[in-house]
Amino acid sequence: MELQAVYVQILALILFVIGLLTAISRRNVFFVLMGVELALNAVNLSLIGFSKTLPGDLSVAGQIVPLFTIAVAAAEACVGLAMVILIFRNQESVDSDNYSGMKG
Amino acid sequence: MTNLPLWLIPLFPLIGTVVLAAISLASTGSKKGASEGIVGGLAVLFPLLAFVSTVVIGWNMPTQGVQETLGTWIDIGSFKASFGFLFDSLSRIMLLFVTGIGTLITLYSTGYMHGDRGFARFFAYINLFLFSMIVLVLSDSLLLTFLGWEGVGLCSYLLIGFWNADVSNCKAANKAFIVNRVGDLGFILGMITLAMVSSDLLSYRELSAFLRDAANVELVNILLPIFAMAGLLFFIGCTGKSAQIPLLTWLPDAMAGPTPVSALIHAATMVTSGVYLLARLSDLYVLLPGVMTVVVLIGLLTAFWAAVAGLFQNDIKKVLAYSTISQLGYMFMAAGVAAFDVSIFHVFTHAFFKAALFLGAGAVIHALAGEQDMRKMGGMLKKTPVTACVMIFAFLAIIGFPGFAGFWSKDLILERLYVSGPMGPFLYMMALLTAVITAIYMGRLMVLTFFGKYRGGEESEKHIHEAPASMLIPMVILSLGSIFAGFLWAGLIPGANLFEQTLAPVVGQAQAAFGHASVHVSPWLFAVLGTIAAVVGMAVAWKLFANRRIPLPKGSSAPEGFGATWTFCFDKIHGIVISAFRVLAWVAENVVNRFVMMLQWLVGGLGELLGDFASGLQVAKVRLQMALSLVGVIALVLIVLVYGGLL
Repeated sequence: MELQAVYVQILALILFVIGLLTAISRRNVFFVLMGVELALNAVNLSLIGFSKTLPGDLSVAGQIVPLFTIAVAAAEACVGLAMVILIFRNQESVDSDNYSGMKG
Repeated sequence: MTNLPLWLIPLFPLIGTVVLAAISLASTGSKKGASEGIVGGLAVLFPLLAFVSTVVIGWNMPTQGVQETLGTWIDIGSFKASFGFLFDSLSRIMLLFVTGIGTLITLYSTGYMHGDRGFARFFAYINLFLFSMIVLVLSDSLLLTFLGWEGVGLCSYLLIGFWNADVSNCKAANKAFIVNRVGDLGFILGMITLAMVSSDLLSYRELSAFLRDAANVELVNILLPIFAMAGLLFFIGCTGKSAQIPLLTWLPDAMAGPTPVSALIHAATMVTSGVYLLARLSDLYVLLPGVMTVVVLIGLLTAFWAAVAGLFQNDIKKVLAYSTISQLGYMFMAAGVAAFDVSIFHVFTHAFFKAALFLGAGAVIHALAGEQDMRKMGGMLKKTPVTACVMIFAFLAIIGFPGFAGFWSKDLILERLYVSGPMGPFLYMMALLTAVITAIYMGRLMVLTFFGKYRGGEESEKHIHEAPASMLIPMVILSLGSIFAGFLWAGLIPGANLFEQTLAPVVGQAQAAFGHASVHVSPWLFAVLGTIAAVVGMAVAWKLFANRRIPLPKGSSAPEGFGATWTFCFDKIHGIVISAFRVLAWVAENVVNRFVMMLQWLVGGLGELLGDFASGLQVAKVRLQMALSLVGVIALVLIVLVYGGLL
């Protein structure tokens, strides 16, 4: 039985919401980052799912975009972790609620 | 046909500059400085090589000239300029006397500058000057000419202020540089005006071809106002470099430099580059009768004014400086009636006799250990006979005594002025009157310097000596030039118009296009009248000054009384202009600037208020911010879904 495209989208939506809620509700900054990554990959999954609905040649475009996203996400994770480490050195805390330096 | 490459000519003085500058820098530490023999030898060698290569290239030159493009200089969008040299009959003549007289004067300088601590530095500057001058003359486009134009201005500044221990020399150098800057601005604006039409027009050949092409007649007529603007602006550039009204005050002050510099830069070569530029752009100028009228009137006024001002000078070099300004006025008059070949011919003969006069004056100053005031000279004929003979030949040339160089060129100018049109007879009369005054002030110089009795102290009389051979040889060669150079275009002798034939490929077409009134007057009549002018002037000078008691100087050699009003006239006018600009500057600082600052504060204050307001909206918590931005995104998506867009 062929996999229905809509199920892929539903799975992607569930993953995205889990990621977003993790990012918002958790105070530990590492969990926030993990949530962001999850949401990102949910979007990748969604792209792949949509690309499957297209005929052969055209579907390649939908599969390539996630590859780029993964590459960018790797870089983003690098930078994000490095920033977290630096902030931790300054604040001695991984609690994102303590990071209130942005207030003017 | 194999020929030497053109870039060889400017290369030699450039090498000379680098080598001599290196020697000069290397010897700053030592007390005595580098050996004068080696430095002097090198300094003369490189200009000589440039002269030799000019002769070789000039000998093999085809009639239409050689153009050599070395590469692209600027290429941005619609503006293109290449870096190239143009060697045609006009640049050949200019180069021959620039490098030739340059070599002679460098040789002279090795004697004149003997014992000066800045010996190597001086010759580095001289070589740099020759390099810039060669670039100015040899370039194939206005842009590269401007590079040389600025280069010679820089060297002029460096050499006027060469003895920089004296602050008045530095002031004179500054004055020359700043006054020239006003003219250079005209040159730049002129180039921009031309480039607005097309950047190709900056190339001399392209410009001539464009203006001469019969297919472009209508286009040229439409563009005529732009060309008139460009022509006028270039002429302002020329008035700066060639010391014409109104930018002439720097040249008399420029005499603060060493005398060979005055001879080379401020008499023979650099100041004539304005005339050269007019001849180069002859195709442009012949289309602009209005601008040509301005040129001829400025030339006339300058020639007359400077000649009268020259009557009152006591400093021997200042007389020659005013005389240079006056002669340049003649050249501009000739250019203004589209007699470009005649004006270049006068540049050529003038280079010989004025260089000889300056070098002679330098030898006199050298003999008197630095004395420049003519009232303290006199009777030098017996003490320095060779110098006196050189000066007398050059004197006869400048006043236009029959047979000498100046006679032929000045006569041609007068003749062309007379036949130039309705204004002709008036121009001719004024020019002839100026010629009489020229003979008077030059006669005064000769009488005060060489005749009568020595008026300096007895102590200094014993030290008077003739100049060394290294100074005398160039002087004698130049005096021979001022006797015989005129025969290259002797109007009275049929067939002796080599100079005219040489220049014809460059300026002939333009001159024919300008059209002359077909008045035919016998050239003999002009010759006779010119001779009478010279003789009358000489007689007047002899009568006025030969037996008169010369008042002894009271310290300064500046003219006093009535003479001072003539001499300082334009300095005063410049002063008024400058104070007008000071008022403008005060207004700009205190009114305009305040207003602009007020606007700045207004904008800045508004920005600060907005920023404070926005930063108050920030919440402290990162998570809350993220949630809020999510809410914002959802709101946007909803708006898009419901209304199908924000607007």
